[in-house]
Amino acid sequence: MRFRFTSKTALRSIAALAVAGMASLGLAACSGSSQGEAGSATSGTINWWGWTPTNTDEAKDFIAAFNKKYPDIKVNFKLIGISDYQAAMRPALSSNSGPDVFDLQPGAYVQQFGTYAKDLTPVAEKALGSDWKSKIAKIAVDGLTAKGKLTALPIGSSYAGSLWYNAEVFKKYNLQPPKTLDDWKQVCKTLESNGQGCFAQGASQEGFDQDTLQAIANSVEPGYWTKASKGDAKWDSPQIVETLKIWKDLFDSGIMQKGALGAQQYPDINNAFLTGKYAMVMMGSWYTQYATEAAMTQAISAAGVAGAKPFAILPLQFPDVAGKGNTSEMFGDADYGLAVASKSKHSAAAETFVQWMSTSKEGQQVVADRLDTTPVLNGVAPDFTTIKFVDSATQSAPVNEYLKGMASINEPRFALLNADIENAFLAAAQSVGSGSATPQAAAKTLQQAADAAKAANG
Amino acid sequence: MTVTTQRVDSAVGSSSRPRRHRRRIQAPGLPWILPALVLSAGLIYYCIGYTGFLSTLNWDGASPDPESIGLKNYTNLVNDPVFWKAIWHTVSFFIVTFVLQTAIGVVFAVIMHSRIRLAVVYKVIIFVPVVLAPAIMAPVFRQIFAADGQLNWVLGHIGLGFLEQPWIGQDSTALPVIMAITIWQWTGLTFVLYYAAMSQIDPSLLEAARIDGAGNIRTLTAIIWPSLRGTTLALGILSAIGALKTFDVPWLVTIAGPNNSTQFLGTYIYQMTIQLAHVGYGAALSIVLLVIALAMAIVLQVTGRERTGGR
Repeated sequence: MRFRFTSKTALRSIAALAVAGMASLGLAACSGSSQGEAGSATSGTINWWGWTPTNTDEAKDFIAAFNKKYPDIKVNFKLIGISDYQAAMRPALSSNSGPDVFDLQPGAYVQQFGTYAKDLTPVAEKALGSDWKSKIAKIAVDGLTAKGKLTALPIGSSYAGSLWYNAEVFKKYNLQPPKTLDDWKQVCKTLESNGQGCFAQGASQEGFDQDTLQAIANSVEPGYWTKASKGDAKWDSPQIVETLKIWKDLFDSGIMQKGALGAQQYPDINNAFLTGKYAMVMMGSWYTQYATEAAMTQAISAAGVAGAKPFAILPLQFPDVAGKGNTSEMFGDADYGLAVASKSKHSAAAETFVQWMSTSKEGQQVVADRLDTTPVLNGVAPDFTTIKFVDSATQSAPVNEYLKGMASINEPRFALLNADIENAFLAAAQSVGSGSATPQAAAKTLQQAADAAKAANG
Repeated sequence: MTVTTQRVDSAVGSSSRPRRHRRRIQAPGLPWILPALVLSAGLIYYCIGYTGFLSTLNWDGASPDPESIGLKNYTNLVNDPVFWKAIWHTVSFFIVTFVLQTAIGVVFAVIMHSRIRLAVVYKVIIFVPVVLAPAIMAPVFRQIFAADGQLNWVLGHIGLGFLEQPWIGQDSTALPVIMAITIWQWTGLTFVLYYAAMSQIDPSLLEAARIDGAGNIRTLTAIIWPSLRGTTLALGILSAIGALKTFDVPWLVTIAGPNNSTQFLGTYIYQMTIQLAHVGYGAALSIVLLVIALAMAIVLQVTGRERTGGR
């Protein structure tokens, strides 16, 4: 069936009508979207997706505190395991039914998902003024900024490169925390001879291998790892080769537990440490929360121990494994930041929530008191009068000192790296650990990966 | 329109018969096959074509300006040692799991046909792993095969402590563990299919073999096994395609490690596409996987037909 047009005029008239109709529809759509796009800033429902806080009670605490000030904004938190985060976020953020607020971490996540986030610089300026950068931890802001765009407002910083140990086990066997590689080997020997596991690491997961490697590298030559991450030094240098040799020594000398290459830091090693199987673990500032009685009890219970009895844990500076007298400084960046999805239909309410969490004293105090992540807003610190340690006499001073030390940390953890280089760290760590590659060969592949990443990014 | 067609047909006379015949089939048949056609062509073939297009891009899956790089992803793939590792794992995985599943499945089926007591209970026990989701069983296997897991505990308590290993924590044993889990999981299906196929064998054939003096082994190898060729062929194709698609067990139990020792094409595609955001490279791997799967299915099918025709 065909329409027959008797004249060109009729055809033109209909075409003009069609174009006008389409244009008016388009304008209507545009005007509609500009009016209602952001929604209300003080009411509505927003969906927040993240891999952290891993303890959903913590997220509920944040939301409850937020709702005291903004009772008409309902926040739904959806916890997604970190191993599934990328798979879940890519389609969600591409679609129109993704989250309004989502977690971002410096490095690969900012590079992969930063394009789906609104620039939050105006939000930060509105909340803290034009000099807002001077009021938030610089290391946290830098990692979440990509090409001049603030992809997320930092909620807390996290720092790695430290060990935590079971103070009660050390006391039982009359042990002192190790300060050198030889000390560490001796401590492990003593513990193993008493049937007690010494140190455990989930070496099948990239981030934690990277933490240990960077800590070793900081013992070999402080700051070299950061220089290599920036491209100012080579990965196949003698410093990195020595780092990988020490890493291998951890396996050969029995410091690293058997089967480490097949273990995951979460949940395997976390559970093994919290249930007392091992006395030492490679964890960072986020582990401070387990110094408290409430979080420790809950975590042990979650690890499958009935009638959980909390025990005191203490932070420990990474030993001088290179034997050069260097202090192995910690490193870190934003633990996570909250991004507002550019496709959010409730972006005004989402911005209210993110702004309150990151830039308000009330929001940051709730973050600080959980001891999960270090607050980023200057002047906010955990209120230790309300926090109950497992063993206050043993833990209070060392934990306070540990947290105070965070202020001077200036080496980044993930911010300078992309996913390909992080993947290369895992390959190097596993091939050296298993003995299938020499430290020299693994260092060479690291450099090749860095070169390839540099070439790909121009 | 119909009139026009008839006029043309009558004009060309007898030479137009095949065309007229085809039109008669197409006109009433098209609506019937249209839903399936749309589903197949629109969903499956479009996706394959689109994946083929993606494989020519350097794209992170998010940026608005993907770079067209022609066949570079394929040349990179040929030079990628992890890709060849994954291929080798797939081949060895197929051979080992298929041979062992077949052997165990046939033996179980023969035993179940020999009228043993509590046969139903045994059948259920053998088949239960087939219906258990790998996601549910993976944490259990991680615990069993851990360095301080139950397998080592048992070995230590029966005087075989020298065999204790970090089973999933070292290159040499991680892949055999994945194979063992797969065999445990799928032997039940192999058994059921062989059991059903054996029920189709003419009892008089077995009786004649007995009269001719054939023992159990001879009957199994000369009568029963040749009768199961069709089932074996079908299982071979399913196992081959299953090996190519392997993802859940190696990913959930060993995260394709350690040191890529349990890396398969499926896990590598996931790592490249999702974790490392190399969507174009992941698509190239997917196309290679598709080509290998088709080639394998055709080879097995043709080989099977030739053998069947020769008999």
